Amino acid sequence: MNLLEIKGLTIHYAMRANTVHAVNNVSLVIEPGQTLGLVGETGAGKTTTARGIMRLIQTPPGKIVSGEILFEGVDLLKISSAEMRSIRGKSISMIFQDPMSALNPILTVGEQIAEVIHLHEKCSKREAEERSREMLEMVGIRPERAGEYPHQFSGGMKQRVVIAIALACSPKLLIADEPTTALDVTIQAQVLDMMRELKDKLNTSMLLITHDLGVVAETCDAVAIMYAGEIVEYGSLERLFHNPKHPYTLGLFGSIPSLDKDTDRLNPIRGLMPDPSALPKGCKFRERCDYACDECRKEEQSLREIEPGHTVRCMRVAGGVLNG
Amino acid sequence: MGEMLRVEHLKKYFNNPRGLLHAVDDVSFTINKGDTLGVVGESGCGKTTLGRVVIKLLEPTDGKIFFEGRDITNIGKKENIELRKEMQIIFQDPYSSLNPRLHVIDLIADPLKAFRLMGRKAQKERVLELMDMVGLSRRFAYSYPHELDGGRRQRVGVARALALSPKFIVCDEPVSSLDVSIQAQILNTLQDLQEQHQLTYIFVTHDLSVVKHISTDILVMYVGAMVEKCGAKELFKKPLHPYTKGLLAAIPVPNIDYKREKIVLQGELSSPINPKRECRFVNRCPYATDICRQEIPVYEEVLPNHYVSCHHVREINSL
Repeated sequence: MNLLEIKGLTIHYAMRANTVHAVNNVSLVIEPGQTLGLVGETGAGKTTTARGIMRLIQTPPGKIVSGEILFEGVDLLKISSAEMRSIRGKSISMIFQDPMSALNPILTVGEQIAEVIHLHEKCSKREAEERSREMLEMVGIRPERAGEYPHQFSGGMKQRVVIAIALACSPKLLIADEPTTALDVTIQAQVLDMMRELKDKLNTSMLLITHDLGVVAETCDAVAIMYAGEIVEYGSLERLFHNPKHPYTLGLFGSIPSLDKDTDRLNPIRGLMPDPSALPKGCKFRERCDYACDECRKEEQSLREIEPGHTVRCMRVAGGVLNG
Repeated sequence: MGEMLRVEHLKKYFNNPRGLLHAVDDVSFTINKGDTLGVVGESGCGKTTLGRVVIKLLEPTDGKIFFEGRDITNIGKKENIELRKEMQIIFQDPYSSLNPRLHVIDLIADPLKAFRLMGRKAQKERVLELMDMVGLSRRFAYSYPHELDGGRRQRVGVARALALSPKFIVCDEPVSSLDVSIQAQILNTLQDLQEQHQLTYIFVTHDLSVVKHISTDILVMYVGAMVEKCGAKELFKKPLHPYTKGLLAAIPVPNIDYKREKIVLQGELSSPINPKRECRFVNRCPYATDICRQEIPVYEEVLPNHYVSCHHVREINSL
């Protein structure tokens, strides 16, 4: 059985003047032990999707309009708030992008880790504190530092603390929202290395949200590319990186200056992402796409399988025009 | 090509409640006309301070700066202002570097107004011409910064820097706050402008793939000090300093078939406040020995046009 299966998730934000279509009909699957990378640029709807899974969408203005989020077969959208609270932080936990603002500045890091354990594991405070020290050690921080406050730690160390909190109850699913974006590259390498190790050790599945295809290449088993609230390409890491098909995915790869090859000029995607409160009809990428035709304007694009386990939301690919 | 900028033993220290912060410590380099020097390093390595000191936005603590052969280290306030016509800067954050109450047209005209170079009509013409140059549609002339997205805002920043037709521009992380597709658009624009106007750049960034793409030479900094400098391609092919090796190995590459040596640098950056007389990298270096803790390594030319400061560079690389 799949650990997580999202079916047709749609999330809107009702603003005063208009409605923001943040997430549109998104379907994803995560198998036990698997890491799925959710990739896209600012405003693509990645974080909203993650918050949707955690049921952390602020309502109003946000609203999960439709869809199912099946976690071990149970629809998270149908259970009570109390039941959700018992899952959040225990079976599913989340790492936020900015470790500086994710920690409480007036509690020691030990207290913040113990809090989760005490709440979910029904153990004494003493025991929870004991376990919080073990967690610190696991993420590479000396347990003696449990009594220190977040401001006494560097950015990379703070993110380790956040990871310790997230993994304290050995969750089955970890949602990591740009966990290393705020970190320097050598620190990022340390943190990613540690996350991979712990994930294997605890057999946790992961949804990794990032804009960095390099991080995906090193961490994920499967990839979903998100654009304007939709999944535009979805497949295993190998298939998607060896055989990217959607014009947007190709554009993303073309925009990154390459380290392994010498290129004189980048091939960026022209234009900008459409306003999510006024999405164009038909294909949402067509205004920036070199392969767009009249049909793209009329038809809503659907995700089609182009090879086993690799789907693309583009009729030009399915029609055989784009075969590069 | 002749020399554009030469910096000798440049130092910039800041007073800090806990001591003297060595932001830039003994940095020397030369940039030739039309070239781009990429300055890379992690947060707090002094790269932004270096960029600001060389164009005299900050006064150096010690050392010399020569611009087109002229010593500009200790020039007066008036001359410093005149220098703005020759040397400009593009700031990192296009959100906070533009006055939110001015129209785009006035933002770009600002440098022209400051020097009273032309009449109003000519000024407007010049601004529109600049907007064309940086690929900013003329219809945004009367927009406010908040009405523009990050990429367009950064184009305003570029246009402002170009307004006085400078020869030399410090680009301080100009694309770091932008999404990759927009980042690529701006990088292409900067390259085109360099070619058309024979500009010389210092390109400050933490992003190694960007710096490789745009630079002629690359200077790697670590906690205020120079670590390594050489041609851009050479640095990626043949990094000699252990820090550079670790830094390059840490970049995630979006290619699943790209195999390379795995090095994960342990530990974190040491403090730039009252640093000890030792190699700055000693605590994270896998090759550190006693001498690294006793002496600051000499910055020397190890291979032709390839400078490194490391006591053990020859044995590590079997040179």
